[in-house]
Amino acid sequence: MLRNRTTAQEAAEDIFFGQLVMNWARWFVIGAAAILILGTAERTTDLVFGIWPVVGLMAVNFYLHGRRIGERPANPRLIMLASVLDVAVITVVILTGLGAGLGDGIHSPFFVAYYPVVLAFAFVMQPRTTVVYTVAVLAAYAGACVLADGTTVLSSSAELEKLAARLITLAAVGGLGTYFWRIQRRRRHALLAEEPGVANHPAGS
Amino acid sequence: MFRNGVPRVESDDDLAHGQSVIIAARWILVVAGLVLAIWNPGGLVELQVAIVVILGLALGNFALHTQVLGKGPSMARVVYAASVADLAAISLLIISGGGFPAAPYVFYLPALLAISVTFRTEVMALYTAAALGAYGLIAVVTASGGDLLTVLIELLVLAAVPVCGNVYWRLERDRRSRAGQQTEVDPLTSQAAEGSWPRPA
Repeated sequence: MLRNRTTAQEAAEDIFFGQLVMNWARWFVIGAAAILILGTAERTTDLVFGIWPVVGLMAVNFYLHGRRIGERPANPRLIMLASVLDVAVITVVILTGLGAGLGDGIHSPFFVAYYPVVLAFAFVMQPRTTVVYTVAVLAAYAGACVLADGTTVLSSSAELEKLAARLITLAAVGGLGTYFWRIQRRRRHALLAEEPGVANHPAGS
Repeated sequence: MFRNGVPRVESDDDLAHGQSVIIAARWILVVAGLVLAIWNPGGLVELQVAIVVILGLALGNFALHTQVLGKGPSMARVVYAASVADLAAISLLIISGGGFPAAPYVFYLPALLAISVTFRTEVMALYTAAALGAYGLIAVVTASGGDLLTVLIELLVLAAVPVCGNVYWRLERDRRSRAGQQTEVDPLTSQAAEGSWPRPA
């Protein structure tokens, strides 16, 4: 019941409601990946290999979106797995320059796909988990840039500045997402506490 | 005004809570923008523009922040105008840096995120359209034909972040509404909220 919900129950509700945001974020990433791969393919083999990440993410999102519509929401482990897969796919696209023409590493325009993914994660998961995830995403992106073209990134002040701006704003999106998550939780607790005869929420804030 | 008992406009409470996210996002823009502007200045005029814009934002944000700390009432028009100023400032930084490809493009994202969790959907859509229009226009004028795909992807993500933010804002609004309604009937049917997952509207 509402009055006696535990932290675990509230976290489960966060995941149930919030996974819709994750689904939306993933559809945007799929759209961006499709534009990138369809638009830059120069040979049929580019498209044959390049389209797989898009197909893979679509399959994941059909499954998760379908479960949610059927009121059988994915559990935290599945959500985590899907979120890690999102980051892995984006990082591989950046690292390999999949879709060729537009460049890899720091030159890949696909880094923007991290933003909605990190934001959706921050809205759904507990702050501690979000911090770990956001730091992992930052490390993955910085690592991909260095691995793809380390000499350019590390020796050019302009490229380093570009990387720093991206990492700072990516961290900011994760931080602001989790900040708003906290605000919303406080508001729900305050709403319940205001009701006559209702004890303070046991989940704390 | 109401749909399923849920007000369609953001309440003062929404604005007050969202405003703190906007202020936090603006401080990030100010600090990061200043550091990055000084790090590798492109030219004197570019640096002058950047410093004037960033310090102007800092002054405005300080005024808003003191109002929040003093628990003063949220002035909706000021919050709306300050958000317009954020988007204008980022666009100005991009223009002063020579347009596309633009490193400050990424600053749109936290700014739009903060807007999307503060304002109702229609207002969020207006701000997002304004940002898309401004950046699109800058790209049309300064980008080459080969940059079309990059511009498209950047515009898509520029829409993605506020859409995700607003979806979450609406979900949370519905959750609060449902929690309030269920608590009202709770004394008689305390087990009513148990057993099944509530279905979001």
